[in-house]
Amino acid sequence: MAQRAVWLISHEPGTPLCGTVRFSRRYPTVEKRARVFNGTSYVPIPEDGPFLKALLFELRLLDDDKDFVESRDSCSHINKTSVYGLLVGGGELWPVVAFLKNNMIYACVPLVEQTLSPRPPLISISGISQSFELLFGIQDFLHLGQKNDTELNTKLNQLPDLLLQACPFGTLLDANLQNSLDSINFASVTHPQKQPAWKVGTYKGKPQVSISITEKVKSMQYDKQDIADTWQVVGAVTCKCDLEGIMPNVTISLSLPTNGSPLQDILVHPCVTSLDSAILTSSSIDAMDDSAFSGPYKFPFTPPLESFNLCYYTSQVPVPPILGFYQMKEEEIQVKITVNLKLHESVKNNFEFCEARIPFYNRGPITHVEYKVSFGQLEVFREKSLLIWIIGQKFPKSMEISLSGTVTFGAKSHEKQPFDEICIGGTAYLKLHFKILDYTLTGCYADQHSVQVFASGKPKINTHRKLISSDYYIWNSKAPAPITYGSLLL
Amino acid sequence: MGPLSRETWAQRLGAFRASPSAFMAGPEGEDLGRDLLNELRSEKLSEQTKVSLLALSLEYPAQLWPDAAAAEAAATSLLDTLVLLPPRPSALRRPLLLAATTALAAGDALGPTSGASRRLLPLLLGLASGRDLGRGFGPASEQRPLQATACECLRELESCKPGLLGGCLGLLRSLLGQEGPVQPLSLLLALALRNTLVIQARARAGLQGLLVAGDMPAAGGPWNWTLAEEADAHLQPQAPSWPAAEEEECGLAVLEPSPEEARELRAAVAQLLDTSYLLTPVAQAQLLWLLGWALRGLRGQPPVLFKPQLVRLLGTAQLTLLHAVLALKAAFGEALFTAQDEALLLRRLTLAAQHPALPLPAHLFYLHCLLNFPENCPLGPTGEETAPLLLGPRLCRGLLPSLLHDPSALLAHLHLLCLLCAEDEEKEEKGQDWCPRHYLGELLAGLRQRAALHGGPRALATLCFQASYLVVHCLATQPTVLTPLTHGLARLYRARPALAPHFVDLLDRVGPELGEPLRTALRQEVVSRPGRDEALRWHLQILSKVADGKAPSATLGFLRAAAAHCTDWGLQQALLQVCRALLRAGVGEGLADLLQALARQLEDPDGRDRARLYYILLAHLAGPKLGVALGPSLAAPALTSSLVAENQGFAAVLMVQEAPAPMRLSVGPRRAAGPVPVLQLQVEVLEPLYSVELRFRVEGQLYAPLGAVHVPCLLPGRPCRPLHLPLQPRRPAPAQLAVRALFATPAGLTCHAHLPPLPVNFADLFLPFPRAPDGDKQGFFEELWDSCLPEGAESRLWCPLGPQGLEALVARHLDPFVVVAQPPTSYHVAIRLPPASRLLLRLEAAQGDGVPVALRTDDWAVLPLAGDYLRGLSAAV
Repeated sequence: MAQRAVWLISHEPGTPLCGTVRFSRRYPTVEKRARVFNGTSYVPIPEDGPFLKALLFELRLLDDDKDFVESRDSCSHINKTSVYGLLVGGGELWPVVAFLKNNMIYACVPLVEQTLSPRPPLISISGISQSFELLFGIQDFLHLGQKNDTELNTKLNQLPDLLLQACPFGTLLDANLQNSLDSINFASVTHPQKQPAWKVGTYKGKPQVSISITEKVKSMQYDKQDIADTWQVVGAVTCKCDLEGIMPNVTISLSLPTNGSPLQDILVHPCVTSLDSAILTSSSIDAMDDSAFSGPYKFPFTPPLESFNLCYYTSQVPVPPILGFYQMKEEEIQVKITVNLKLHESVKNNFEFCEARIPFYNRGPITHVEYKVSFGQLEVFREKSLLIWIIGQKFPKSMEISLSGTVTFGAKSHEKQPFDEICIGGTAYLKLHFKILDYTLTGCYADQHSVQVFASGKPKINTHRKLISSDYYIWNSKAPAPITYGSLLL
Repeated sequence: MGPLSRETWAQRLGAFRASPSAFMAGPEGEDLGRDLLNELRSEKLSEQTKVSLLALSLEYPAQLWPDAAAAEAAATSLLDTLVLLPPRPSALRRPLLLAATTALAAGDALGPTSGASRRLLPLLLGLASGRDLGRGFGPASEQRPLQATACECLRELESCKPGLLGGCLGLLRSLLGQEGPVQPLSLLLALALRNTLVIQARARAGLQGLLVAGDMPAAGGPWNWTLAEEADAHLQPQAPSWPAAEEEECGLAVLEPSPEEARELRAAVAQLLDTSYLLTPVAQAQLLWLLGWALRGLRGQPPVLFKPQLVRLLGTAQLTLLHAVLALKAAFGEALFTAQDEALLLRRLTLAAQHPALPLPAHLFYLHCLLNFPENCPLGPTGEETAPLLLGPRLCRGLLPSLLHDPSALLAHLHLLCLLCAEDEEKEEKGQDWCPRHYLGELLAGLRQRAALHGGPRALATLCFQASYLVVHCLATQPTVLTPLTHGLARLYRARPALAPHFVDLLDRVGPELGEPLRTALRQEVVSRPGRDEALRWHLQILSKVADGKAPSATLGFLRAAAAHCTDWGLQQALLQVCRALLRAGVGEGLADLLQALARQLEDPDGRDRARLYYILLAHLAGPKLGVALGPSLAAPALTSSLVAENQGFAAVLMVQEAPAPMRLSVGPRRAAGPVPVLQLQVEVLEPLYSVELRFRVEGQLYAPLGAVHVPCLLPGRPCRPLHLPLQPRRPAPAQLAVRALFATPAGLTCHAHLPPLPVNFADLFLPFPRAPDGDKQGFFEELWDSCLPEGAESRLWCPLGPQGLEALVARHLDPFVVVAQPPTSYHVAIRLPPASRLLLRLEAAQGDGVPVALRTDDWAVLPLAGDYLRGLSAAV
């Protein structure tokens, strides 16, 4: 259970190599074991240059996909996971765990403690999940609060020292690199007995506990007879516990109002010490009925020092917060659009912002727009072929607003206008972006009084809630739209 | 080289990292390792620079110190640097320990004879046990981190040399019980325990109190290498391949600890598990893998020890933890997971595979785990991905593919959908209900629609073909899926012929279930629209793949129409490639006309030549031979001459190859009749041969040149009629015939072989005289007898008789030539010897052991041959 090597590669389309190795680390003692375990199927870790080339090719990130290349484009070359085989130096390096996120490619090669031919299933390779955790850990570290390239470079420069701490010999000790950074800084603190490895020091100061519930709502609305609209709430509860003592115990209860929607699919942070079986089994897979467990959801835990996600959940609320339809009809070089949006009465009508983005893909730039809105303003981004309907902080009293208009397009030039593989012909969507503070769609809240803390001093408890939209699509009802299987089960 | 500045080192390290092999091959390569070790003691360099030097040695020890001796020397030097550090806080101690460990382990230097090993191991163990090692090892504040580092170093050494710490199990246990750092000690103990169990099981030894021996190797005393040497350099997988819950290949089952040992073992495992919550999630996962595989199959060690951990672990979203639970599931099966537990685990896994809060790579990994789920009672064949029995359609609902998915996500979910459809096969399709198969059809249609986008990225097309391939792979037996797929693909081709290479690739990889109908559909698609077309080159590429013997007139019509538009070399070659496919398929009618026309009308001389070549081949070679000559595939014509490339393909086929003799030839019974002597040849073959031609040559021009003998087909084990070889002697003399065979093999090659020479005996040339007039045989004979002299010769000789007597001898050898017979005592024999000789014999008054023979011939040269012949008769069988 170890890693042979790890890389960070920035993806730079348009440059000659299409990418640069920003960081790499090899583990020679693991490599030595790989040579023994893999036997004749052993392929050594290549140098950075060849690795970069092979990985970008396999991930289709080189700029040259004009021609059919069998080793990449063959129909039998099927990849169903983020694990790849790379052709390097006459052999195939496998398994290479790799994914692209925010223009950075995260990659590593776990040790496989057996021969590679035939390939063992990934599930049997202990190093695979460790690879993912290492890469996720690096990704979290790089993107936590990172705002610009300078900060990214600073963090990349810290990586060698951090990995020396968190993964000195290729066996990952802690995926939380921030923790490792702290442990370098905390080195002078004397550690008392039974200090958890995931908590490098102790807090000194005023005790306080912050609990923040963020719900994201996503939706696919079609306004069609035979296709069901879908929507789902995904919640994340983030905690920061500034408490003295080595192992303070905290219990947080999440509650629902009487008409609240039960929480399902609950995943908890590893610091949660025990879990009620009702929480463990409450799942969106099952048909909903009145007997569904509706809380309170108790989470006893021993908090780490840093801010962490106590739990995630999903929920199926009875109605989407904003229901709408979008009709778009093509008439030669122009399209006619009609949009109608209705805020559900149960939803708090006080947005931080609310807007509808209406993109037009695979067309030329907008040359002319005639429109009428019942509320808000429309902004036109001609070159991007995009309309943004700014709805603002509140829906009007009727709770219902509409937009209609005609959009004319110029000639299509391939470089500038956005290409989209879904929005072909009449297939089109509008996407809602909104945020409501101090509100959750499920009604879920953390009652200050229900928070139990077993530590010295009475802590101050802060709670926050917010609802934000995420992937909130309303599809053109006058044309085919991509559906999920769930939409077909009316 | 003198001391280098920080900048110089930074440059040097940068150059090294850019390409280690290039740097080491350069002028500075050789000295790098030595310089690095020296610079660590330099007082001019900052600690930070030294740490970066050490970091390099952690990554590239094999390049810096390429052999065991160099690694040993490097480790010694690193240890020296360590003990020479001043007693103030330093950032170098930790990396120095790591570097010395790496140098020894990666450099193959770790062992009882290595001085550096003998220094490093006690040092690490001392640090790990928190012993005061003196001021040289830094201030107290550094002790704790160094203790953890020492544990990590020991663990790495134990990983590379299993059994190294077998003697320290008791010590590690007691340290864990005291106040040592929990995580490093737990992981070290778990690994050492696992390795010890495996080694002892292999040696059929017990734990021998290793778990309780608490004493520590005395400082400076000898290290106990016994177990490491028993491990015999067998590296132990920390987690051997699963599933093997029921197998005992890990060999632990033979280890039967005594009740006391079992109790100690249980206590040690419980101790590790009880404090496991203090470990980071990834470390917890490692601990579970190690302990799971340590106890797997060990008698008297129920896995129920793990049970209390499971509920806690199942609730988390942590990938390593859920993976470790799956490892326990694979290791212990029903012993740890009841049917309900299994169902719960499966539900959590299903949930994790689609939870919106988790990233896509995690979803895909969980989906993989679902399809490889270690079930308690697996039904399907092992080694293949299947949906677990408990994973019903309801559970899968959220796991089905959608066009909004990324390519790998779509393929992963599509695979699951295909598995569901395969299970669904027997069930009736229910009216309006959206069954999985219907959904699959819609999804594939959506993928094709995207692939058909002109100017769309190739990835979209690739995805469409990968999905089609996956569907065919899983659902090859379902016409309700394949028929619409075939039609859909044909429509896709019509919409975007530029995808031809993808179609060719797909046809190469799918079985006949899709391949056959798709070929037909594509052929019809192409030939139904002849004429000028932007996509002509794609059409020709497709046709060269799908053109076969079926409906050749439509194909030929298309080609005739296309020929006018094939104005450049590439198109002409593509056109001829289709002709080639038709030639191979045995299409003759119409093709000859087309080829002739092409040979005249194509603009490019290379194209004309190639067309002419095909025409000649078509005119001269029979179908099977043509198939072989042109097959199996032509390397894409490079350069400017397609003929050269073509020739490479079939020159070998058209040339006659030398081969070992595949047949045996022998001369059969004589057939003394007709105007000339005829040899009857008998043939036996070892392999099937076709179009056999046997050629004979007489040595010394004794006979006129011999004609060849042809046989269409010879099969082993099947007797062949004798072959007749007429001889035309110029002189009546025996001879040797040199024999060569030309034949075609079943593979279509034409071969040539030399056979052993065939002897023609004197007697093989005998012919009878035309029948004498009935009345006067004696007179006829006498007339011949008298005519021999005076030009001829006369002789008398003694012909020995065997036990069979004269009558039998004559009957056997001379019967066709007897003119007058008075059995059993007197025979007059007249033999005609072509071209114009005669041999007359009088065998009269036989005695017991022989008969006197009077002999006349008109050719004196025959006399000695006749003498030899007669003397040899009795010996001849």
